[in-house]
Amino acid sequence: MNMLGLRGSYRNTKVTTRLTWIEEKILEKLLGNASLTLLYQSNVHKRCTLEMTKKCSLQGSTMTIVYLEQEVVGVFMLEDFPDKDSKKTSTCAWFSFERNKISSGISALVLNTLVKVNSTSLQMSSISGLTLIVYPSKEGLYLNEAVIKNLELNVKQSQYLECEIFRVDGIKNNPGFIKKMVTARQHRGKFLSTLRAYRPYADLVSEVRILLVGPVGSGKSSFVNSVKSSFQGRLTRQAIVGSDKSSITTQYKVYSIKDEKNKETLPFMLCDSMGLEDEKEAGLCTDDIPHILKGCVPDRYQFNPREPIKLKHFTYAASPPLKDRIHCVAFVLDINSVDTLSDKMVAKLKKIRKDVVDCGVGCVALLTNVSDYDEVLDNNLVNMTENMTSLNQVQNVRNMLNIPVANILMVSNYASERMLEPLKDVLIFAALQQMLRAADDALEDLPLEDTASDDGSFNNSSHIKNEGKLGEVKRREMS
Amino acid sequence: MEEALKGRTLFDQAWPLRWKLPSVAALGQNLRPDRFQNFKRTVLALPLDSSMAMRTRLTWEQEKYLRNYFGEKKFCLLYKASVQEFAGQNLLYKCQDQGPTMVVVYSEKYVIGVYLQEGFQENKVSTTLFTIQETGLSPCALGPCLPLSLFRYEETSDFFILLDKKTVTISSEIRKVLRLPSLSGDTFIQECEAFRCDELLDERKTRGIVGLCSNLLDALRNYKPYGDLVHQTRILLLGPIGAGKSSFVNSVKSVFKGSITHQASVGCDRNGISDKYRTYSIMSKNDSGPLPFVLCDSLGLSENEGLHTDDICHILKGHTPDRYQFDFRKPITPNHPNYIHDPLLKDRIHCVVFVFDINSFNQLSCELVAKIKQIRRDLIKHGILHLALLTHVDSLTWITKGDLLDIYSCNPVKVKLGVFHRLFGFALSDILVVSNYDSEWQLDPVKNMLILSALKEILYTANGFLEDLPLNK
Repeated sequence: MNMLGLRGSYRNTKVTTRLTWIEEKILEKLLGNASLTLLYQSNVHKRCTLEMTKKCSLQGSTMTIVYLEQEVVGVFMLEDFPDKDSKKTSTCAWFSFERNKISSGISALVLNTLVKVNSTSLQMSSISGLTLIVYPSKEGLYLNEAVIKNLELNVKQSQYLECEIFRVDGIKNNPGFIKKMVTARQHRGKFLSTLRAYRPYADLVSEVRILLVGPVGSGKSSFVNSVKSSFQGRLTRQAIVGSDKSSITTQYKVYSIKDEKNKETLPFMLCDSMGLEDEKEAGLCTDDIPHILKGCVPDRYQFNPREPIKLKHFTYAASPPLKDRIHCVAFVLDINSVDTLSDKMVAKLKKIRKDVVDCGVGCVALLTNVSDYDEVLDNNLVNMTENMTSLNQVQNVRNMLNIPVANILMVSNYASERMLEPLKDVLIFAALQQMLRAADDALEDLPLEDTASDDGSFNNSSHIKNEGKLGEVKRREMS
Repeated sequence: MEEALKGRTLFDQAWPLRWKLPSVAALGQNLRPDRFQNFKRTVLALPLDSSMAMRTRLTWEQEKYLRNYFGEKKFCLLYKASVQEFAGQNLLYKCQDQGPTMVVVYSEKYVIGVYLQEGFQENKVSTTLFTIQETGLSPCALGPCLPLSLFRYEETSDFFILLDKKTVTISSEIRKVLRLPSLSGDTFIQECEAFRCDELLDERKTRGIVGLCSNLLDALRNYKPYGDLVHQTRILLLGPIGAGKSSFVNSVKSVFKGSITHQASVGCDRNGISDKYRTYSIMSKNDSGPLPFVLCDSLGLSENEGLHTDDICHILKGHTPDRYQFDFRKPITPNHPNYIHDPLLKDRIHCVVFVFDINSFNQLSCELVAKIKQIRRDLIKHGILHLALLTHVDSLTWITKGDLLDIYSCNPVKVKLGVFHRLFGFALSDILVVSNYDSEWQLDPVKNMLILSALKEILYTANGFLEDLPLNK
């Protein structure tokens, strides 16, 4: 065979990245759960673009990283690395971080970018005006003003310490996926701010109560833990989850949600209930639902599948105040089981739905165990995608429970993961936001006497303040 | 720092079978919304060849055979013939000057490889041939060879690969050593892959792990029980005899002390060494008082002679004094001289950890499994949060120290966690894995990382319990 002879001497240097282990992990996280494989390193391999293309072409997605004294600049390229003397347009993620301070944050943008390789340089130019040029033979780096500004770089250097190019594995070959992954953290922050600032409609109540109801094992308690985890920024396990012959959750539990930043409770609560089962006298009694909706059931009430709630069980008044009622019901269903629910289960769900409507409570459906969770929302993480809204499961839920598609929500609970993911947080926050909107719609739609009976007079602001105080006491009791 | 705890290996990558061609991609979104408000939309077309995966055919087990023989390596795929063309020049382009390199070819039935100690370079390098079969790896040392000579035809060669012809040729003598059948002629190859062989636990990673452990230690030393409701969180360890409960206590103590300690008795006595109720405080290295959590060790669980179920209730409620001598026939009663009659919150158990040996939990008797499940249901009823801790993960077949770095991604561990999840019903994220210190004389940062990470999850779970307490308790 006709192979080129080996040229150049072997430099006795190990091929090892300059990234710290932590930096490597965080960069891999930036693109989902990527894996980086070092292909080219300027201090080991020949300092020319030909060597770059020899090592990096036909490898799939790549990430080029340039090390300066204090900072690192990088560009992830979704398309294959170009051959020498050619160019390629690709979705790219541009990023920078301070060396050894990556935990304090990465600046990152997703831009359509033209990547060119000629005999002396590797050039990346985004259509929006960012330009980065690597001159390997002289270890030179050019960054134009737009790069420095948008990636928040402090200095403009012409000499770099090292240039490394990695292959990036384990990601979807889809520009939308890249955009979602890179921007998920930002969107998470937006949702978080919105939820922190949320106030129930007209401050009629200090906290909205959201009831989770659904079959055994559909993920109700998992959703509670997932919401708590998303707000805490780490995995929490307050609602006991697992699998057993019957419902793990046998008590009515009202969970307040704490904001990790402010250490305050947020103005909504999740109410967890016993799971529904096919058989009569098993699982949650559907006759218990109206009592729960009206706010007659106290926190930690022990459900009895064979005996529905009787009013004499409690010291509560027959007509509890608005703040103790349920303001939104979420039917929690495993997306993988929606199409195979038994007729008895469907009948139970429909009965509950009727009670919910009769009580004037807001209503959503929450589909759990969504494996393609990165495809639920569009590339701007604003709306659900048509691919998801047209799923059989969504249509079935819409027909079964008469819930509009916009209120059929999808999440992937934290059940087997050990780390949080910004995109999962976004889905959880988005679902929560829809629940709060449904609750507000219901509060807005309340008959005037329902609001007046609590306050004496709807327009009496002093009563609203009193309501606030009672809510404060209640909140302190809960925490 | 939690992000650093988990990564994924090449083996775990799940390449999507579907990909979509977006008609319009609204690019230009950035993390700071003020910029690029006038960005234009662009139509993108994705070339088909981008859907081909640079992914190795090697299974996790095959990589493990390779590591057992060539050392703890991470195999970084550099060249794959079906993606980058069956051409020797392309392999050379990808592999030159990459350090230790391994080339693997796959025929219909066999995996055959070449390990080049110093990689592709101008000089002769130490060369080892091998095959990987069901029974393991069969090596054949060739001695110093010119790398190029392995990829061209020479009549006198014992071994060569011709990529453009997709054949590998092996002499009958070498075939015998490699335990290949003595067929004559060339063997057709379906695929060829080449890897750089990096150190799995290099200095860079070790430094990162040490830094991570340091951060974890600081976080745990600064841990505070929720709302300062108690001065010390109390963690009860429950589990079958020999599961490693006391060993875990010693491991935690060792990590915080900075050297190996064996204060909690550990042994292999048939009835289990831990026959007393012990509450162990943990001292920090600088001896600035005990840390704000206590590990409570108890008699092991068994079908008949282990910890009495009623004794568990007493421990949970805080009635059982330190050093109480258990009697499996007779639980503690209020008549006991040291019985705590009116326990406070600080005397109660705030989190329970079920401890099992990862190798033997699936050999427990049906009666014991049922007993443990019932204990768990009782805990659920009383709202006591609990986790599972699987010990001795490093003694699991195939697991070596390098695997501890990303232990939850290792195939054998995944299988075990799945079995445990189905047997006992714990959520997968509630099952923790550690490797206790048993025979070592010195601490190891990778083991420390597992122990500290598990302890952090346990303490956060205890805080969840304290946060959820009703006011009147």
